[in-house]
Amino acid sequence: MAREPKKKEPTKLIALSASNKAFEFRTPLEKKIKYQGKKVDIKLREDPNGFSYIVWKNKKYMLDVIEKNQNHYTIMINGVWHSFTVETPISLKRRRYLEKQGDSSSTVSIEAPMPGKIIDILVEDGDKVKEGEPIIILEAMKMQNEIYSHVSGIVTSIAVKKNDSVMKDDVLIDIQKG
Amino acid sequence: MDVKGKNFTRFLDRQKLYKTQRDAKAIGKQHSKGKLTAWERLDILFDEDSFEEIDAYVTADRTDTGFGKVKQAYGDGVIIGHGMIRGRLAFAYSQDFTVMGGSLGSVHATKIMKIQEMAQKMGAPMIGLIDSGGARIQEGVASLAGYAGIFYRNVQSSGVIPQISVIMGPAAGGAVYSPSITDFVFMTNQTSYMFVTGPNVVKEVLNEDVSLNDLGGAGIHSKKSGVAHMVFEDEENTLMGVRHLLSYLPANNMENPPEMELSEDETKDIEEKLRDIVPDDANKPYDVKDVINLITDKRSFYEISENYAQNVVIGFARLDGKVIGIIANQPKVLAGTLDINSSTKGARFIRFCDAFNVPLLILEDVPGFLPGIDQEHNGIIRHGAKMLYAFADSTVPRITVILRKSYGGAYCVMNSKNLGGDFNFAWPTAEIAVMGPEGAVAILYRKELEASDDPVAMKKELATKYRKEIANPYVADERGFIDEVIDPAGTRLKLIRAYEALENKFMNNPARKHGNIPL
Amino acid sequence: MKIKSILIANRGEIAIRIIRTAKKMGIRTFVIKTAKEPNAWYLDEADEIIDFSECFDDTPEFLDIERIIYQAKQHGVESIHPGYGFLAENPDFARRCEEEKIVFIGPSHDAIYRMGNKTIAKELAKANNVPLLGGSKGSVPDAEEARKIANQVGYPVILKAAAGGGGRGMRVVEREKDVERMFNLATNEAEKAFNNPDVFIEKFVREPRHIEFQILADKHGNVVHLGERECSVQRKHQKLLEESPSPALDNALRKVMGNAAITIAKSVNYYSAGTVEFLLDDQNNFSFMEMNTRIQVEHPVTEMVTGIDLIEQMIRIAEGEKLPFTQKDIKLNGWAIEWRINAEDVQSGFSPSLGTIEKISWPESEHIRVDTGVRDGSVITPYYDSMIAKLIIHADDREKALQLSSIAIRKFWIKGTKTTLAFCRAVLQNRNFRKGKFNTSFISKELKIHYHQEPDEEMLAAFFAVYDYAREVHEIEDKPLYVEKGKEIAPWVLNKRLR
Repeated sequence: MAREPKKKEPTKLIALSASNKAFEFRTPLEKKIKYQGKKVDIKLREDPNGFSYIVWKNKKYMLDVIEKNQNHYTIMINGVWHSFTVETPISLKRRRYLEKQGDSSSTVSIEAPMPGKIIDILVEDGDKVKEGEPIIILEAMKMQNEIYSHVSGIVTSIAVKKNDSVMKDDVLIDIQKG
Repeated sequence: MDVKGKNFTRFLDRQKLYKTQRDAKAIGKQHSKGKLTAWERLDILFDEDSFEEIDAYVTADRTDTGFGKVKQAYGDGVIIGHGMIRGRLAFAYSQDFTVMGGSLGSVHATKIMKIQEMAQKMGAPMIGLIDSGGARIQEGVASLAGYAGIFYRNVQSSGVIPQISVIMGPAAGGAVYSPSITDFVFMTNQTSYMFVTGPNVVKEVLNEDVSLNDLGGAGIHSKKSGVAHMVFEDEENTLMGVRHLLSYLPANNMENPPEMELSEDETKDIEEKLRDIVPDDANKPYDVKDVINLITDKRSFYEISENYAQNVVIGFARLDGKVIGIIANQPKVLAGTLDINSSTKGARFIRFCDAFNVPLLILEDVPGFLPGIDQEHNGIIRHGAKMLYAFADSTVPRITVILRKSYGGAYCVMNSKNLGGDFNFAWPTAEIAVMGPEGAVAILYRKELEASDDPVAMKKELATKYRKEIANPYVADERGFIDEVIDPAGTRLKLIRAYEALENKFMNNPARKHGNIPL
Repeated sequence: MKIKSILIANRGEIAIRIIRTAKKMGIRTFVIKTAKEPNAWYLDEADEIIDFSECFDDTPEFLDIERIIYQAKQHGVESIHPGYGFLAENPDFARRCEEEKIVFIGPSHDAIYRMGNKTIAKELAKANNVPLLGGSKGSVPDAEEARKIANQVGYPVILKAAAGGGGRGMRVVEREKDVERMFNLATNEAEKAFNNPDVFIEKFVREPRHIEFQILADKHGNVVHLGERECSVQRKHQKLLEESPSPALDNALRKVMGNAAITIAKSVNYYSAGTVEFLLDDQNNFSFMEMNTRIQVEHPVTEMVTGIDLIEQMIRIAEGEKLPFTQKDIKLNGWAIEWRINAEDVQSGFSPSLGTIEKISWPESEHIRVDTGVRDGSVITPYYDSMIAKLIIHADDREKALQLSSIAIRKFWIKGTKTTLAFCRAVLQNRNFRKGKFNTSFISKELKIHYHQEPDEEMLAAFFAVYDYAREVHEIEDKPLYVEKGKEIAPWVLNKRLR
């Protein structure tokens, strides 16, 4: 006979911020969480207008999931957004390991964040680019979007030409970190 | 275990030895590479404490080929067995990279074939967790024969039970063909690779440097080659993703997919937002996934091949708790045109749904086939025909809703009435014609336009007239090529009732061995 | 003549703002519907909609002078209010309205033209002894001439596009040797942005305040000013908040600057509402910049402190009425601040954030006014500016206004898009801003981080991410599957499948 379908759950989940800060929470989530050594009440509510908010130390915080893709989350709280990946203890260990590996293989690909057409390429092969520098202008939904480099380094290859159509996540440019 | 008075010594010793082999070295080796062990993976894939292993103690034949001895290890580098996934039976094998690199020797292969045969006999899904260096060179042709045997069984099971391959490490050489025959391929980012010839061979033959990831990583296969259907960031999420997918699939081709009860906050039957979703301007893009999410049960859409050929969106969803397969044109990408990749992507999905009794829903907004030398020379004729064939050959209920554009050959292909569509609906925004207004007018009134003083104004006027008189859903509706022009807001309810009416559909196709799909 | 109908050649919050006053005055309102925003709120507020959904060429709907005028006549509309932006400061549009006997609710086309041309405007100011920054007389023909003038005026100088605005075609020159290079850059940029390479030179004031005076003038030569607005908090020449009055002005200076503003207005026989902009340096020297011949985005702060409905006055002036008050009747009462809430991602350099406003709500009180063109379900399109709402706080004094702002901003909730609310919070946290000590360099010099967050917020966001993830896993894992029914297939169907 079929057994009761049950799944082993991890005992805790970790939200890892973009700046590598880890926030640990025991699962299943409880009404109190450990915070600076003390247990503090946390309440998650929804108001009649459909906003979600947390009550924390007698203050209300409005929250919204702006983006989520698998375990990647962007959460808006009081107008400021934060990016996290939600990890289990095992996947966190894996991430840490792969990050260490990643440092040695130093070529980073800049990918198209949305499907569209390449309007302009602002760098050439061999150019030095800085983090946050615009490298490509991509037209999507009738808007010209600047695509920024998220690393500093040297352009090692350009995979697209002007007027090319690209899909989301297509590699645009490779940059050798450094 | 304390078993008094019986001669269980050997039984217990073996168990102890096996446990040592399983835990000590293997865990350290795999974990240090950010990977789980073959056992841990099965633990996550199956319901808690439900997996039963068989053939744990077989070992490789004692062979010494002159190229070194084959290591004798319990299980010969692969775990096979059965268990429950959300209370439903499933079979699986899981390759153990710590035993001779998970290489496939003849015993290893025999075990996989054994579990494949069982899965087919019992009519339950077969899941392969692949983490293998390839054929075991020391065993020579025996290991190649093993691969062939696995492929043969993959093909025999195809369309009988769902087969899923999960690539959790390397899959090189012949090893890639088993996954490619199976219905769905999952990969884990950064730690899994698939290629027929590795970077070393590429370097030798073509003198090109390419990294493992750039040659056959998860990114390449999910975006460029289309080999991988689903990609996840880590192994746990990958395996959870397999569990999720299985909740949409029947155990075999003689069952229907599992149903689910609706919760209270489900999608509204009348959704007014749908009336505004398609822009008035025919050239303005929108996201067809918004339409899908507003029609189907809340959060039930499970997209397949999300990042490959994005101009067609495919995936499973639930409608009133019942599973359907969706094929939708995506106006946001390449204006929703059909090209080679999107046709093959759509066609294979249609074949799967047809084989496993998943009714089809087609959401159509297609301006035509993607024009271009590149497309023609690479065989858009041949590949476009696949989608057409797959639709016409399928016997499951299929319903088309034309959201906006439906022009030319693409109209025919996208499950039109005369291709065997059971219900063909259109929204009032639909434009059904041989070609778009601007193109049609340019052909029909070429001379008049040339002679005109103000050809631009004349063209506009004619285009407006064309839209009014020809490119709308009402002409098709009045001739029966459309069953009904429907209010977008009420699409969900219409579909629920239409599928109810089609529940016991069967077709009297002529007897034949099999058709000849243009491959 | 009493106006009985208005066509509002604009959209969003300003269309709704104008409709509000028109309703109060019993005037029928017409608005333009575009394919870009077919479900916008302003359409529901108007009495009648003129449909521009079918677009025949690339002229944007709100810039299509002839189409707007033709439709106004077709519908028998007596007057047009242009709002701000679009055609508001286009002298041709005002002229065409006059020619077609449609009342243009704004100044004369001549006043628009003369104030719109910066060279003419400066000459007028000079002729009327209004303080002005040294610089070129009109546009500069070449780099050599530019160098000569710059040497005369003294460095630093700024090169500005004659046709420009919004910071494009502007270059600051610190040294003589940079003149040529900067001149070329500025002309190129001006050519690209405005199809007109002309640039002029002006003395550059480092870190000035941006102060503007609201003017009301009737067709009978009466001109009053309604006090100033402090607009120094800007990013790339885009205002982000405005207040009235300014912490930098006392009554004496207000009087002098106000009179200068009135002089400027009189020099072009101005009527309707208008705004005269000044730069104010740290020694309280002011100089005339330009005049905006339209209603401004930030007009509500003036309305709050003076109690005068500016839109109503514009309509009455257009009808030919005399101003119902004189300068001495105008009192500035309390303090008002307007916070612009834009759909922008402050954390990624204020890049526009598209999407749908799923929910929007704000606290209501006598101190709070919200002017907005969006409501639940509104779509933010890439076609128009990113402003979604203006939060205006009015209180007895600046300190109270700031205090109320903090509370209101905290309770101003928007779901579905990124907004500048966190930026507003960051401004409010700044000590120099609270003290009133700031100028146009405030954001670049004072605000190191453009958004504010409280200490626990990141942790709470993390909690929410984990919560949502766990919820989804449960939903996928725990909802029961019904397989039994799937096995009951009618035998005759099964038979077919076995074929």
